[in-house]
Amino acid sequence: MKKDTSHIRNFSIVAHIDHGKSTISDRILELTHTVEERDLESQMLDSMDIERERGITIKSNAVRVAYDSDDGNTYQFNLIDTPGHVDFTYEVSRSLAACEGAVLVVDATQGVEAQTVSNALLAMNANLDIVPAINKIDLSSAEPERVREEIEEDLAIPADDAVCVSGKTGEGIHDLLESIVYLVSAPTGDADAPLKALILDSYFDEYRGVVATVRVFDGAIAKGTRLQMMATGDVFLCDGVGCKRPLETPLPELGVGEVGYVVTGLKDPALVHVGDTLTTPDNPCDEALPGYHEAKPMVFAGVFPVDNKEYENLRDALEKLKVNDPSLTWAPETSVALGFGFRVGFLGLLHMEVVKERLEREFALDLIATSPSVDYHVYTTAGEMLDIKSPQDLPRPEQIDRIEEPYLNAKVIVPPEYMGAVMQLAIEHRGITKDMVYLSEKSVEMHFDIPLAELILDFFDQLKSRTKGYASLDYEFADYRVSDLVKLDILLAGEEVDALSFIVHKDKAYTLARGLCDKLKEIIPRQQFEVPIQGAIGNKIISRSTVRAVRKDVLAKCYGGDISRKRKLLEKQKEGKKRMKQIGTVDVPQEAFLAVLKVDDE
Amino acid sequence: MAARGTDEARWLARLKLPSVAALYLHLPFCARKCAYCDFSSWATKPKDPLMEDYVDALRKHLSEAEAAGLLSGCETVYVGGGTPSFVGAPLARLVQDVRSLLPQVSEVSCEANPDSLSDELLGRLLDAGCTRLSVGVQSLFDAELTELGRIHSANQAQQRLGAAVEAGFDVSADLMCAIPLQTDESWRASLEGVIGCGVGHVSVYPLQIEDETPLGERYRSSEPDFNDPEVQARRMELARDLLTSAGFRRYEVASYAREGKDCRHNQAYWTARPYLGLGTGASSMLTREGYGALRKVCPQLPEPDDGTRRVRLTCIDRRHELAAARSLADLHFDLEFLSEVQAAAEDLMLGMRLVCGVEPGLVDHARTVLGESAVDETLAWCVAQGLVAHKGPRWVPTDRGWLLGNILYGRMWDLAS
Repeated sequence: MKKDTSHIRNFSIVAHIDHGKSTISDRILELTHTVEERDLESQMLDSMDIERERGITIKSNAVRVAYDSDDGNTYQFNLIDTPGHVDFTYEVSRSLAACEGAVLVVDATQGVEAQTVSNALLAMNANLDIVPAINKIDLSSAEPERVREEIEEDLAIPADDAVCVSGKTGEGIHDLLESIVYLVSAPTGDADAPLKALILDSYFDEYRGVVATVRVFDGAIAKGTRLQMMATGDVFLCDGVGCKRPLETPLPELGVGEVGYVVTGLKDPALVHVGDTLTTPDNPCDEALPGYHEAKPMVFAGVFPVDNKEYENLRDALEKLKVNDPSLTWAPETSVALGFGFRVGFLGLLHMEVVKERLEREFALDLIATSPSVDYHVYTTAGEMLDIKSPQDLPRPEQIDRIEEPYLNAKVIVPPEYMGAVMQLAIEHRGITKDMVYLSEKSVEMHFDIPLAELILDFFDQLKSRTKGYASLDYEFADYRVSDLVKLDILLAGEEVDALSFIVHKDKAYTLARGLCDKLKEIIPRQQFEVPIQGAIGNKIISRSTVRAVRKDVLAKCYGGDISRKRKLLEKQKEGKKRMKQIGTVDVPQEAFLAVLKVDDE
Repeated sequence: MAARGTDEARWLARLKLPSVAALYLHLPFCARKCAYCDFSSWATKPKDPLMEDYVDALRKHLSEAEAAGLLSGCETVYVGGGTPSFVGAPLARLVQDVRSLLPQVSEVSCEANPDSLSDELLGRLLDAGCTRLSVGVQSLFDAELTELGRIHSANQAQQRLGAAVEAGFDVSADLMCAIPLQTDESWRASLEGVIGCGVGHVSVYPLQIEDETPLGERYRSSEPDFNDPEVQARRMELARDLLTSAGFRRYEVASYAREGKDCRHNQAYWTARPYLGLGTGASSMLTREGYGALRKVCPQLPEPDDGTRRVRLTCIDRRHELAAARSLADLHFDLEFLSEVQAAAEDLMLGMRLVCGVEPGLVDHARTVLGESAVDETLAWCVAQGLVAHKGPRWVPTDRGWLLGNILYGRMWDLAS
C-alpha cells in the first residue's frame, strides 16, 4: 500500500546574512499557531545561547508545523534550519538532502548578494524546488521590482512567482506558505519498501541517549523497531519517535517522507554519524543514501584545563559534547607548559571557538586553547612519514627531509569590483589563483589553491572585511604539497614555551615572530620581574619584546581599620590570577595561547 | 598547643585580651563629597540636627561599652569620618565624654579639613582634651584641589595647619599623589609646604580611582596617565626621600613621623591589638573574649563559630538609624569570624605594612598554628623575591616590598588557605 505523502512539504530557508531568515521562520511558527506570539522567543530555531548571541546557526534543527491551506487541506511542513558557516558545509549539504524545496530569502533593499548566490547554487545542486521570497518590503527603501529582476538575471531563477513578504509585520507570509504548497514537490517514496532514512543531525539527551534527527525516504520507523546504521553497522532498538513543534512531541511512527527524531538509546554519540543511512537489519534497503562521508577535522588545537585536576572532567565533557557534535575528534596531548590535555580536531576556526565556549559554559571548565595547526606530513631523513598535528611533535630540523602541508581548492564568489582585493588577499596567504568565471555581470567565481594553514588563521574574516561581506567562500581538500616550513618557538623569560610554538612558512616567520612578540607583550600583564619575550627559529632569536616589571601594586589607604574589605580585595586579585597559567615564574593569561590569531596584519 | 617561648607567650596574651586597646568613632558627615571618595560619608547641611542626634547616640554607645568593661584597657582614641571638624561643637562634647570616661587614654586624634577647622573649634578641642589633629590637605595647589573636588584652597590649608601646630596639637597632614594635574615638582612642593607648616606627621597615599565615584565615572577603564603605577611608585619614592631627609621616619607603608610623633592608634590596626569601632560603617576587631563581653550588651549578636579566635565587625546601620539607636543592642553588624589559623595569617599580612615588620613572637606563633614549613617557605620566597628582609630577630618589608605590597600581603594571607 502506498502511503499518501502529498500533504508533506520538506523545505529549508536560505538567505544572505541579515536578510531575515530567522524572522521569517519565527513568523511561520506564529502564523501556523505552532508557537503563540507571547511565547515566541526571538529566533526560536536557534536554540543554543551561543547561536542566539552570535546570530549564527550551528546545529541543524527541524520543526514541524501544520498549515491549513486555502485549498482546504492541512499540510505537514517540516522546516529544516541549516548551519550558516563555511565550517559546516557538509552539514548543510546533508540538511538540504532531506528537503524537496528551499525558500530563498532576498532583502528587498539589498538585493542579491554573495551568499544569496552561493546558497541558491547549493539548493539548485541539491535539485530543490526554489521559492524566492523578497523580504523587508515594509521598508521605504524596498525595491521589490529591481530585486525580482536581479533574481532572474543573476540567479537564473524564475521570479514571477517571487512572494513579497515582511518578516517584521507578517505581511505576505500567508502567500509564502501557499507558494510552498504549490511550488515545493511532495516527497516521493515507498512506504512498503525497506526502511531508508537519512540522519541529518543528532543531539544527546542525558536520559535517552543519542537522539537523531532523520528524514524517512522509504518505509517507516516506530518505537520498538530494530534499526541499523549502514556506515557503521551498529544495531539498536528504537526507543521512540516524534517531531518537534518546536518542543518534542512523541508520535506513533515516522512515515515515509516525514522528518522527525528517533530516540536511539545509544550512550555513545560516536556511533551516530551525520549523513549515515538508517535501515532495519532484518530487511535492509539495497544501498545507502549517497553523499555520506565522515566529517573530517581540518584544524587541530591543544585544549588544556587551566587546573590540571580538571583533566578527567575535560575528557568527560568532550565525550558528552561529541554526542551533539560527532565531528569532534581528540587524542591526549602533553605539554611541558600546560600539562595534560587533548589535541582536538575541529571543522574550522569557528567550530573551535564554539566548542571551547560550550565546554567552558556547559561544563564549567576553565580552558586554554593553543594555536590551531593543520595535519602536516613530515618526511624524515630516515624515510618515514609522520602525521604531525602539533608543532611540539615536529622532529628536529636535521631529522627532517621535507614537510608537506595540505592545500585546498578554494572557491570565492564575489562581485567583480572586489576581484583585485581577493587576489591580493590570496597572494598574502600564499594562494595561487587558477581561474575565474563570470557567473553573471554581478558575480565572479574565483578558484585558487591555498594552504589550509593560511586559510584557518584569519582568511575568512579578512575576506569578509575586504569585500564588505560580499564574498562567499567554499573549499575542499586538494592535496599535500611540499612547503618550506619552519617551527617558530616563543621563549618567555628565557624558557621555551612549547604551547606557544607555531609552524609557519619561512618567508613569513620574521613578520609573524615580530607580531607575536608585540601581541604577547600586550596580553601578558606586568609581573614582579621584567619578562623578555623572544621569537626563535632553532637557536636563532629573530624577534624580541619585553613586559616591563610592575613597579607598584599596593592599596595603601586603609580607613578606620577596615581590614575585611582589604582582604577581600586581595582575594579578588588572587581569583584573577588563578585564571592565568603559571609558566615558570610568569603568569600567562589564557588568551596568550591564541595570540597568533590576533596578530595584526601590517 | 603549648607556647614555645616567652616571645610567643607575650604574643598569645594579645590574642586573648578581653578589652580593646583602641577606640574608633566614626562621624559620616561632610560639607561635600570629594570626587575620589567612596568611604562611608554623606554631604550634610551645616547645623543639620542629625549631626547632634548622631553624636548624642554615639556618646550613649560609648558609655555602654565602657560600662561593659570593653574599654578598660583602651589607650588611644581616633575620631574619623567623614569630616569630624565639620560637625563642630558636638565633636568637642564627644571628645570631652571620651576624656572623662577613659582617663587612662593618652592619645586622642580627630580628623579635620582646613575649611572647618576654625580657631574657635581648635580652642574647644584643646579644652576637651584632643591631643592630635589629622588634617586632610591632599595638595597645596588649587588646580589639583579643584580636580579632587576639595572645597578648601591651598592657602587656607597652610594657614590652618600652622594654626593647629601653634595651638599645641600634634598635627598630621594627609597628602595624595598621582592625582590629576600633579607633577613631580608640584608633589615635592606640596610635601615641602606641609613640612614648612611644622607638622610632625605626614601620611601619603596614591590616589585610588574607585568605581562609583565621580573620578571613577570620569576615568572608568581608561587607566589615565596621571595615575599610572609607575607615577605612583615614583611619587611614593620621592616622598620617602624628601621626608626622610627632612627628619621624618617612615613607620608604616603610608605614614611618616618625627621622633615620638607616630600615631599609636593606627599602629593598633597592624599589630593585632583589638579595637572597637562605633558609628555608621565603623569596623571593630575583637578577640573571642572581647566579643563575649560585647555580646553581653549586644544580645542580637550570634554566638561565635567553634574555633573562632577573632571577630571582625562592621556596623551597617545608616546615619539616621544610628542616630535613633538608643543602645548598642539596637545596632546591626556585618560579622566575620576568624579562626586561629586565619588570625595568624592576617597578623603576618598586617605586620608587613610596618617598617619594624613582624616580631619574633608572631612568627613563632604562626609557625605553631600554620605549620613551620609553610611559614618558613613563604618567608623564604618573599626574601628571594626581594620583598622581605630578615633584620635581627624581625622580618621586615623592603622598599620593593612596600611598592609590591599586595603581592606580599596576598602571600601572607594565602597561608590561611
